[in-house]
Amino acid sequence: MTMRDPFLMLGIESSCDDTAAAVVRSDGEILSSEVTGQAALHAAYGGVVPELAARAHAERLDIAVETALAAARTRLAELSGIAVTAGPGLIGGVLSGVMCAKGIAFGTGLPLVGVNHLAGHALTPRLTDNLPYPYLMLLVSGGHCQFLIVRGPDDFRRLGGTIDDAPGEAFDKCARLLALPQPGGPHVERVAAGGDPGAIRFPRPLLDRPGCDMSFSGLKTALLRARDADVAEHGGLPERRRADLCASFQAAVADVLAEKSRRALAVYMEEAPGTPSFAVAGGVAANGVIRARLETVAAGAGARFVAPPLALCTDNAAMIAWAGIERMRAGHRDGMDLGARPRWPLDTSSPALIGGGRKGAKA
Amino acid sequence: MSEGPLILSFDTSAAHCAAAVMSGHRVLADRVETMQTGQAERLMPLLGEVLGAAGASPQDVTAIGVGTGPGNFTGIRIAVSAARGLALSLGRPAIGVGVMEALAEGTGGQVRACLDGRRGAAYLQDFDDGAPGEPCLAELNSLPAAPAGTVCIGPFAEEIAGRLGLSVAAPALPLAEAIGRIALRRHAREGQPRPAPLYLRRADAAPSSDPPPAILP
Repeated sequence: MTMRDPFLMLGIESSCDDTAAAVVRSDGEILSSEVTGQAALHAAYGGVVPELAARAHAERLDIAVETALAAARTRLAELSGIAVTAGPGLIGGVLSGVMCAKGIAFGTGLPLVGVNHLAGHALTPRLTDNLPYPYLMLLVSGGHCQFLIVRGPDDFRRLGGTIDDAPGEAFDKCARLLALPQPGGPHVERVAAGGDPGAIRFPRPLLDRPGCDMSFSGLKTALLRARDADVAEHGGLPERRRADLCASFQAAVADVLAEKSRRALAVYMEEAPGTPSFAVAGGVAANGVIRARLETVAAGAGARFVAPPLALCTDNAAMIAWAGIERMRAGHRDGMDLGARPRWPLDTSSPALIGGGRKGAKA
Repeated sequence: MSEGPLILSFDTSAAHCAAAVMSGHRVLADRVETMQTGQAERLMPLLGEVLGAAGASPQDVTAIGVGTGPGNFTGIRIAVSAARGLALSLGRPAIGVGVMEALAEGTGGQVRACLDGRRGAAYLQDFDDGAPGEPCLAELNSLPAAPAGTVCIGPFAEEIAGRLGLSVAAPALPLAEAIGRIALRRHAREGQPRPAPLYLRRADAAPSSDPPPAILP
């Protein structure tokens, strides 16, 4: 079945700690995009607690859908399909989203499309900037970090990624270690602005190795040691020193991302793309220092730099609706037996990540 | 199908997918499939099959009854999330029914519904001639006392009855049918809340143990 444009798609996202629903038109117009976070729910635990997240999603998803429909001034009967994140992510939340979507599809008879959360991020530059394939994508968030050559709605080549933690997770940990609020990214960046990025020489893991893989867990440990040394010396952490730690930490992350981006761009440019483009998505792409470095690297390689607005860089359902639109156009449909996949790499042909675990690569 | 409201009811709170379609109190279709995993994939096709067997379409459904637990956390969410999505799309209410209420449906006298709470505990709910007490999670080595003559019912009834010297009886109705009956009764009353999981157990989550450093000016 081919879709007659323009048509409306409902998107549903619940793979981490944001409950989101959106209505997007096939020409790229976002009619509504509702996102409800859970920061307060997890604040006491120093990270997202999967069971708490799942509990919240289960009782918020249908309400999010109602809100998104109302905000878009539309009804289910006006839609042409339902797209839902079916993985990868925290399985409890993903399952709630998939079941809610299947319930809606069952009652309306609308086609259902399961979407890979990472494909949602990776296809966002097409929603926001109508970027032509193939483009290079750096997905850099609290849960993910990888380079992808995006060749089509279902065609991704993974060039490399983190073998342990994601940078966003490292920023959150940095904030916790330095008594800054969550989410850590914006606070670390703010404090870093008053510090010396060269004050502490943190490691740049894997920079000495070829390829585009990255590692950030050692950086967290190095930060902890440096902090403990300061606390031992001063009987607490001087404000000035905290700024230096933030700036030095941020500089290390920026150096790693910039150098690995340079290498990924070199590989991508070998494909001789018609419109060379380097796009970023994920919350870490909002960091001004990192973004400036990536822009410079893109310019150096002769590629256009694209960074979608922050609301579409972080988790949202508009990107899921859009990925669903692209998948539906390509003829994809899922049945009422659609399941949820905690692990779902976009690229199944490239070698699995080191540290991907015995159940295979996570993402 | 002119005898009353059409109720679609289902439950995935344990190692099964159970679904029924009832017209009033008359059961038109009723299925239980035992499975350790795969409820998320199986539930919607099963609902299609029971509706088909009842000669009904989703749009014929007057109200949805869904088992809210307690039980497997993920399992409860599978059914509740599906019920809420269905309710939204059909414009019909979804009504949550506790699994222990469903176990006790159609019984009289003093009844204690019993489910395995794992980790040395049980989910319990007492009923006095059908009037429900509060559901609770109880440690097996400190079970609440029950009035003499209490009959234990449910998958964990043998264990609880053995420990307290009580008798055991089988539930009066299949689970999905019992959920459907209770949903039908509640549907007659206005203002039913959206179904919400009945966990009775807190999420495993330890507060961060690493205190932040004192910041010096």
